[in-house]
Amino acid sequence: MTFLIQQTLIYAVPLMIVALAGVFAERSGIINLALEGIMIFGAFIGVLFVNLTQKAGVFAEAKAAGDWVALQGFMVLAMLVAAIMGAVFSLLLSFASVNLKADQTIGGTALNLLAPALVLFFIRIIANQNTLQMAEGDSASWFMIKKSFFGYGRNDEMGFFGRTFIDKTYLATYICILLFIVLSILLYKTRFGLRLRSCGENPQAADSLGINVYVMRYAGTTISGALAGMGGFVYALTTANCASTGDVAGFGFLALAVMIFGNWKPLNIACSALLFGLFKCIAASYASIDINGDGVFLLADLGISPHFYRMLPYLITLLVLAFTSKKSRAPKAEGIPYDKSTR
Amino acid sequence: MKKFIALVMAAAMALSLAACGGTPASTPASTPASEPTSASTPASEPEQTDAVSADDIEDNMTSADGTYEIAFITDVGQLKDKSFNQGTYDGVKLYAAANGLSYKYYQPANGDQATDDDRYDAMKAAVEGGAKVVVCAGFMQEGALRRAAMEFPDVPFVFIDGYPLTEDPENPEAPVLTNVAAVAFQEEQAGYFAGYAVVKDGFEKLGFSGGGGGNNPAVCRFGYGFVQGANAAAAELGKTVDVNYSWEYGANFSASPELQTMANGWYANGTEIIFACGGSMFQSIAAAASANDGYVVGVDVDQSSQSDAVVTSAMKGLADAVQWAVAKVYDDTFSEIGGTATSLGVAEHAVGLPTAADSWRFETFTVDEYNTMYDKVLNGELTIDSDYNNLEQEYSNLNLNII
Repeated sequence: MTFLIQQTLIYAVPLMIVALAGVFAERSGIINLALEGIMIFGAFIGVLFVNLTQKAGVFAEAKAAGDWVALQGFMVLAMLVAAIMGAVFSLLLSFASVNLKADQTIGGTALNLLAPALVLFFIRIIANQNTLQMAEGDSASWFMIKKSFFGYGRNDEMGFFGRTFIDKTYLATYICILLFIVLSILLYKTRFGLRLRSCGENPQAADSLGINVYVMRYAGTTISGALAGMGGFVYALTTANCASTGDVAGFGFLALAVMIFGNWKPLNIACSALLFGLFKCIAASYASIDINGDGVFLLADLGISPHFYRMLPYLITLLVLAFTSKKSRAPKAEGIPYDKSTR
Repeated sequence: MKKFIALVMAAAMALSLAACGGTPASTPASTPASEPTSASTPASEPEQTDAVSADDIEDNMTSADGTYEIAFITDVGQLKDKSFNQGTYDGVKLYAAANGLSYKYYQPANGDQATDDDRYDAMKAAVEGGAKVVVCAGFMQEGALRRAAMEFPDVPFVFIDGYPLTEDPENPEAPVLTNVAAVAFQEEQAGYFAGYAVVKDGFEKLGFSGGGGGNNPAVCRFGYGFVQGANAAAAELGKTVDVNYSWEYGANFSASPELQTMANGWYANGTEIIFACGGSMFQSIAAAASANDGYVVGVDVDQSSQSDAVVTSAMKGLADAVQWAVAKVYDDTFSEIGGTATSLGVAEHAVGLPTAADSWRFETFTVDEYNTMYDKVLNGELTIDSDYNNLEQEYSNLNLNII
């Protein structure tokens, strides 16, 4: 059970935060198809930052001394750098769709094509191959929270809560959940959030009340870029051993599906991200999931082909979207470039 | 203005895409400069007792006349996989550096999806680039190698992890290509040592995660040997051990989130040590081991410097074998090995476990015990079955759980 919850969270959290990134852009009226591209770019920047900092030896002492607080700080710093560069990368989309009034779908697709190519190009130059890894060690030994940090020995028991939510987790997971909550409140309970949402519903009306639609759309897309960039790095950190390969296994597109399934509402998005995370987890480790802790691996004992389990996440996406997309209600003005003269 | 910006962006996109499509081998040599070894981390330096370490020799060299005598064609996976490709290339680099020859590596296009055509193109580029000997790593090169060897009969090819090739794949009676030297290893012996040693050291729940989806003979031999060794040690100790045995998520010998999750699941359910048998797959399994305080057995080369979780590595002497085979070309004795199968094992000291103090991380199993076992294999007292089709049998002291 512990294993199932931990792995589900690891898969669900990047999905959740990137889906929220999509919400911020779309609520402001810009379709951000470039989530995948921004994730790839953010993952690359974060890994590059970790790699270069390690080579410079900045945190070598902290690592040697087992100073895990400093190492967590290092990780947060890397997340921040990934977020900033993700925001910068997303400016390309904002510029094309706000200033140039270009078709947003095409702009996003262009970024999705650009990011993997650009990232692989740089990785080739930097690492002389097509994977960029940490300069030394692995993500777990550098960034994972272990019970030994809190004075527990190898065989000490932390209790169900401690075992599941503290031991062998990443701080990044909780930062993302916290950010998710804070930003959802920002979007729904503050003046800024209301203005942002109004620009996605009826920008002409918003403009008539003195809200600068262009600024709001820039803000929405930039927050979106920052979250997606960070989500990309968190994905690389927690699931891919902090390696960048110009690929995030389609998580950006899956996040789009999560956003649509979640009907552009944070709570629904959180639930659907958990659902997809659960099936991703089952697909990868069905044979070692012990649901109630009695030593019986039910899913493996059922005798269903492993291929079926591996298909599950995609089957679920297909089914869920087929049945729920009818009821989904997208922001009204999304995808339409705002033109003052058509008021 | 808008048009101009659009043009610039389009140009930037086109350029970055075009740059990616180019042959990897033409990438400028820019890595070594960016690798200052920080003084504060001497522990992470790999153990090298040789006077010259392969890591000190640059991966890319520029020859005066633009031709490269010793060419290396990589297998799937990364060149710097700290395993199979890198170990083989180390042999190329060491021989070339010791003899002042030019060398170059060629990575077939399309990465893990490389086709025979991609590999053939890489071999052709190598020959046209002046190669006097072409070292090809991995049995997947077979189709391309046959074509290249027939087209360039004067160029010697060294087929690592390979077998002699005939002119016609459908007809075993067809003439054997004498310019292909097949060098294989008795991996089952290295696997046996590793399996025996970890069980002797007290591990009871083992795992094996192999690359190539069960189609790679070398990996199959490693795995089968590992199981036999574990069974033998368990029988001596009078206990029963469990082995999880999987070919999943390693078809391309690459690290993946799925592989990491699977390994996490194994460790979470009690598996204590996993034999990570396949190049870059090591990354995923070592990450899972590190997260769960588990242990790993490395493969092909001594991987102890890469992670503290590595207990030992089932090694095969890739670098030595390459140097030996390439030397035959320059001695004009290549005809001795061309067209024949060379299988290197304990007798040639080509397989084994690393016994340097830093790499020997067993708690109770000693180097002396290892040497005793090694000698038994050497003098024929102990034979290890290499036919991996026998994997699924009843073991006396081992439960094999094939996933």
